Amino acid sequence: MMIKSHPGEALLYQYAAGDLSAAMTIVVGTHIDMCKACRRTVCDIEQKLCEDNLDTIVNVANQAMTKSQCDKMLEAIFESSVCNKVENEPNDILYLEGRRFTLPRTLAHNSHRIGDWSKLVGKLWRAPLTLENGNQTNLIYMAPGAKVPEHTHKGQEATLVLDGVFNDEKDEYKDGDFVLLDPSKTHTPETQEQDCLTLATLDAPLHFTSGISRLLNPFSSLFFRA
Amino acid sequence: MQMVSGRTSTRGSMNTTQTDAAEHAAELLASIAETRSRAAFSELFRHFAPKLQSYATRQFGNEQTAMDLVQETMTNVWHKAHLFKPDKGSPSTWIFTIARNIRFDLLRKNKKRKDDISADELWPILSEQNDSLDDGYSLDNDVLMQEISQYYAQLPDAQRIVIEKIYIEGKSQQEVSDALGVPLGTIKSRTRLALKKLKELIVNDD
Repeated sequence: MMIKSHPGEALLYQYAAGDLSAAMTIVVGTHIDMCKACRRTVCDIEQKLCEDNLDTIVNVANQAMTKSQCDKMLEAIFESSVCNKVENEPNDILYLEGRRFTLPRTLAHNSHRIGDWSKLVGKLWRAPLTLENGNQTNLIYMAPGAKVPEHTHKGQEATLVLDGVFNDEKDEYKDGDFVLLDPSKTHTPETQEQDCLTLATLDAPLHFTSGISRLLNPFSSLFFRA
Repeated sequence: MQMVSGRTSTRGSMNTTQTDAAEHAAELLASIAETRSRAAFSELFRHFAPKLQSYATRQFGNEQTAMDLVQETMTNVWHKAHLFKPDKGSPSTWIFTIARNIRFDLLRKNKKRKDDISADELWPILSEQNDSLDDGYSLDNDVLMQEISQYYAQLPDAQRIVIEKIYIEGKSQQEVSDALGVPLGTIKSRTRLALKKLKELIVNDD
């Protein structure tokens, strides 16, 4: 199946640089799990970021590490023990309403963060994804014939279709499609004969003053050409 | 819809010196993983620590935090060298993604609550449970060998020989490694670089 709606390159770049919020990172990362084309692009971007940030850098730090600092740090590293954080066993199976869904890798690694399902109005179910303070990220399940009441968005909303199909006024979205909603437009997602499981976050990207704008410069011709 | 094609050609391909450096770093990582070689790690450390320090200083503007990033990144390299996959990318890109994750967590350190998600959960590059995510670098099957053959004459000898043995003679990477007496990691990185180079040649020719 062809994924037709992808994150823009600027967003993929911010993803690879680690400049997005956790919520946006998990939505973009899950899209990348599902999308070979974006996975390749992110590989290229990571390589480019590495070239710009590590490979070509002659030391510009005010104070380069002295030999004794190096030796001290090396010693500390050799004496450190493997910090194997308890990894939660990835679980890629999700049962809901008699349906069985397979979760992409990033979500499977975070399945322990999926909260309880609650039924909302109009054939909609919701389970929160606990990531960090102050964001709203949810798995949303729309049964066949479900309709989300018309609404607008203050912040940016990103929606990723994990399984199934939904449509709004503009288009139809299927497995893997990533949709960034325009905050100024009203929006009425609905399902028809098929159900739909999505991952959605309401959230604006973080702005780190130290990163983006400056680092984007060498890329702008690649990223923002028509 | 975003166009995702046609960019590869604009990104510079590695020159020989960089390729050699990448192969050497991959060999160092392999001996860290296999024999816990402190000498290999020290060499890798002396190469990457100043670069990481410079990256981190520009990110944080704080020397102590920068040093924390260097130490945490290189500590991961020391303990997790076995998770480096030469066919997935260069050693420096792998180390960069580790540093990227550490940076993500350091930026949130002060407001982090116990259950907040960490970068390793968002980008599970250091997970021991990393499964068989399919290889983003394999060429599409519909690109026929005949179409490629006119291009691979243009590869550097070391890469062309590896590609011929794997894709024409049908040898495994381990067999090529044994036949040429070159470490497996080097064969993997040569394969990856050669495929990347081929992709560039093909895209440029369109």
